[in-house]
Amino acid sequence: MWRTFTYFISLLFFLGCFVTPADAQDTIPIPLKIRIGVEASGPAIYFTNKNVLNEEVSLAVDLNEKRSAFISAGYLNYKYSQYNYQYLNKGSFLRIGMDFNLLKPDKSQGKYYAGVGLRYGISRFTSEAPFIEKLNYWGTTTTSLSSNKYWGHFIEFSPGIRTEIFKNVCLGWSVSLRMLLYSGTGKDLRPVSFPGFGDGTKTVTTAMSYYIVINIPYKKIKAVLKKDAPEENDDANDTGTAGNNSQNSGIRH
Amino acid sequence: MRNYKSESLLFVLSGIIMLMISCTGSSCFEETESYLKASFYKSATRTAPDTLSLSGLNIDSTIYLKALKVQPALIPLNASSPNSVFIITVNGVSDTIKAIYTNYPHLISKECGYTFYHHLDTIIPVGHFHLIKKIEYINRTITNLNVENIHILY
Repeated sequence: MWRTFTYFISLLFFLGCFVTPADAQDTIPIPLKIRIGVEASGPAIYFTNKNVLNEEVSLAVDLNEKRSAFISAGYLNYKYSQYNYQYLNKGSFLRIGMDFNLLKPDKSQGKYYAGVGLRYGISRFTSEAPFIEKLNYWGTTTTSLSSNKYWGHFIEFSPGIRTEIFKNVCLGWSVSLRMLLYSGTGKDLRPVSFPGFGDGTKTVTTAMSYYIVINIPYKKIKAVLKKDAPEENDDANDTGTAGNNSQNSGIRH
Repeated sequence: MRNYKSESLLFVLSGIIMLMISCTGSSCFEETESYLKASFYKSATRTAPDTLSLSGLNIDSTIYLKALKVQPALIPLNASSPNSVFIITVNGVSDTIKAIYTNYPHLISKECGYTFYHHLDTIIPVGHFHLIKKIEYINRTITNLNVENIHILY
């Protein structure tokens, strides 16, 4: 598992350090920022459902106009019960990775983000099922699973958007596609939900996150504006509308 | 800057709508019972029995009562015990068998909850076999999946 972690971090570092050569000289000033974010939907959900408390804070540092290093930490206290079982999970998680802004510098201006994040997540949690009941032909069987600690690992692909609503205050959301690498619990006792990942019975989960972000500008850079490739002038070969153009080779006399 | 601010706010609003859509509940659609799946064959012709009756020892209700052409038979095991005893009747001839196994819980899904899987150790006769000639073990792990566990030749 540590090998996977090392490979993933190396890949992110490579992507983060990769610099494309400038092929144009036009530049635009872009403020690089440190972004401190709070995930907003977790406390909102807790307000309506006291059985799920999920809190997350994030820190992102712009490396250049396109890439930001990202780290977040969070906490989950999860309780679930239905007629045939009760389940508890409590623990914390850490996500580390890179965000890639797909907007051009003249459009993002250091304020707007529409891009994707790639992250590696690690989770430390306790899992417990205090009550399990199963009814079949022979009658009712009851049992329980005692509290045990586990490590969970996952990767995350996270497209999203963010916009500055006030000076240095942003709102944003992202859709997270998470793939489970290892839940630590074995295939029979996968966690109903575990911190940072969600439903541990599934290999792939999706989630939505809503962020409130405070920006702290720390440096200004000049981002190079790449010129768009010139569009082909289709009119030059248009035989139907340029009949008076003597240079149009499409005209037959 | 043009309309990027309003466009982004539209994205935020669309995100809220997506959240509202994603907050729908779901139900359990999976098989929640782990049956011992046993196929009965007449040893000479490898054909299924015409009628099968099956019940647990000292249990009033039956699992199968003169059921026609059952293949495979789905036999529930007692998860509170390391063994279960059954009375099998094929075409009017009966045998009593004891299945010996270990139980362990398995989480199917959040919606369905837990079931019990079993690891089959052996199946032995209680007394003498009158009907059964041989038991073939195909897969000793008994789960909720549709995988055959034993063949019973009679």
